[in-house]
Amino acid sequence: MTEWIIRPAVEDDLQAIMAVEHECFPEDAWSQDNMHFEISAHHTEYFVAVSNEQVIGYAGLSKVPSSDQGDVQTIAVLPSARGIGLGRALMDALLKAAKRLHASELFLEVRADNPVAQGLYLALGFEHIDTRKNYYQPAGIDAWIMRLILPKGSIGREPVVLGIESTCDETGVGIVRGTTLLANVISSSMDEHARFGGVVPEIAARAHLEALKPTLDKALAEANLSLNDIDAIAVANGPGLGGAVMVGVAAAKALSIATGKPVYAVNHLVGHVGVDVLERGQVETPTVALLVSGGHTSLLLVRDLLDDVVLLGETIDDAAGEAFDKVARVLGLKYPGGPEIDRAAVGGDPNAIRFPRGLTQAKDMEKHRYDFSFSGLKTAVARWVEVAETKAAAGEGAEINVADVAASFREAVADVLVGKAVKACLDHNVPRLLLGGGVVANSRLRELATERCAAAGIELRIPALSLCTDNGAMIAALGAQLVMAGRQPSSLSFGADSTLPVTTVQTI
Amino acid sequence: MGHVLAIDTSSGTSVAVLKDGIALTEIEIADTRSHTESIGNAINDALKSAGIAPSRIHAVAVGRGPAPFTGLRVGIAAAIMFAEGVGAKLFGIISLDAIAKKEFEARGTVPGNLEAAQPLLVTSDARRSEHYWALYSGLDRHGVPVCVEGPAVNRPSDIEASLVARNIQASTTSLMISARAIGELFEAQAAAGTLSHDITALYLRNPDAVEPKNLRDFGKRVSG
Repeated sequence: MTEWIIRPAVEDDLQAIMAVEHECFPEDAWSQDNMHFEISAHHTEYFVAVSNEQVIGYAGLSKVPSSDQGDVQTIAVLPSARGIGLGRALMDALLKAAKRLHASELFLEVRADNPVAQGLYLALGFEHIDTRKNYYQPAGIDAWIMRLILPKGSIGREPVVLGIESTCDETGVGIVRGTTLLANVISSSMDEHARFGGVVPEIAARAHLEALKPTLDKALAEANLSLNDIDAIAVANGPGLGGAVMVGVAAAKALSIATGKPVYAVNHLVGHVGVDVLERGQVETPTVALLVSGGHTSLLLVRDLLDDVVLLGETIDDAAGEAFDKVARVLGLKYPGGPEIDRAAVGGDPNAIRFPRGLTQAKDMEKHRYDFSFSGLKTAVARWVEVAETKAAAGEGAEINVADVAASFREAVADVLVGKAVKACLDHNVPRLLLGGGVVANSRLRELATERCAAAGIELRIPALSLCTDNGAMIAALGAQLVMAGRQPSSLSFGADSTLPVTTVQTI
Repeated sequence: MGHVLAIDTSSGTSVAVLKDGIALTEIEIADTRSHTESIGNAINDALKSAGIAPSRIHAVAVGRGPAPFTGLRVGIAAAIMFAEGVGAKLFGIISLDAIAKKEFEARGTVPGNLEAAQPLLVTSDARRSEHYWALYSGLDRHGVPVCVEGPAVNRPSDIEASLVARNIQASTTSLMISARAIGELFEAQAAAGTLSHDITALYLRNPDAVEPKNLRDFGKRVSG
């Protein structure tokens, strides 16, 4: 029996392939230029069967990243090497490649007068779906159009997905296998923003560019993988700081082209929800999600992670994290304000000062039932401190008790956040609340959420803090959910959308 | 030498594939506001029309600007990741240098004869009524432009005044930068042995951010 191996075709095989081509298709052989393009093109995969260093057959597949359909371009076996299973082996190589490239359907044409080839394709599961008259010229033979539907999640194992996050001041690269976390590396430019008292978009974007490669390298090392092991790339294309998001998007596209792996553009905020799959294997739905960070304060209703996410409400001015930063400045505390205020509040009386709860009055609740406002609260704290200082300076009052101010402010924020989130659960008859975003690090927010959810019979989910702050693992996790659901990859044309709505889970 | 992928996003989005210093293909998208949307297809199309697989690229040359922030980063980010993805070497090219080479060549400037060449001022729009600029004395014997001043960013009138004050008679160009020019300069630098792995973006300006004088400024403003 003839010994042969099948391997990917390289440009140096061109002459040998052309020899086979002419022998197999004397009437309508492809031109050498055409074949050269086919073998070397980005969107094709060609294989050769080699015996005693001679090419005895070859086959090619075409699959563009923006489509989930693949085409068998050609398959040829020298007449002297037929009947030994070579055609089947070449087809197996193409099927494997099609699955690796996430094709959901594979098409081919075969001569109507070639029952041997038809038999092979039928045995592989292809069906005859159409006939094209006089397709093969000059003989005028009809072509059968055949199609094979590949099963969903067709790579036959859990996909390894690399996620890139760059929507604010954290450059994150995460790697997951299905719902298993393999790596989560974050490089933050937080220290560079400290002297400005808040995130400076241009500084964040510059830092992303410098952190990209080291963060990727570290994530691959942490997962003990190489880029060859990655099945797909996911990137957050918004919402966030436009200039920052662009760095991640450009990086993801180039990596996709270079590696030939599909790219999925996913929603950053939905990523905060999707991250729960890494701890629970799935996101139990329906759930309300409260996402609180320096850039966002959003209340989401999630009936289905990939298909049904709606925004119930969001902040109409400052994000909660921003309010923490600004109040920290008023109190002479450092940036970022959240952890500083948490520390300063220890031992303080949360009821010492009754700061306003934004958008909770009856008239506001009509129009802004699930919206937030922290601008007035921040101003109220500043005014209170100023008045107290003036009085103290005039000898009319005591020095400011920073612990009381910090505790009272923190209480006001947590009260509104948890109050509206619980209300959303009860209104929509949803028995679950999921927290996400960096402000989840705040101890009082977690405490109050735990208390009130228990009282209302709502199940509370708080992922590990390393998964709550912005990170690449959540983007990878959401990307893997899309891959496993058989969703088609994004095209290469998507942009960075600083105001991407949560209803757009994936940008095609 | 193998294939080189050249990328520049300091003005529009420009991608070229070169072999032995000859451009096989070049994609130019003039729009200066769609770098992120364009960069993927531009790279993909350039490779496709050159008829080569990504893995054939052995070096990536990217324009470092100077250029107004946002778009410049798109090309550099893509270059970093493409090089990482295919295991290619990554090199940075100062975009103004590439323009200088092209302009000197268009004028028939003889490489290696710096005395005979007329100095060249290359400028590009830096917005905010300013120009990026660099001054060149000619081409070295490998065809690499010799930069004698810059790159820097100034008002056009100040650049002019500085040259006049020193009695420098420079001709001026503000040709559009193209990835092909980046790739051609890459080849010349390779021959001269002056390639650089520095791919940091040339912003030449600090971020627009002002440290608050008083960390409680906003509180005063609202109550004052």
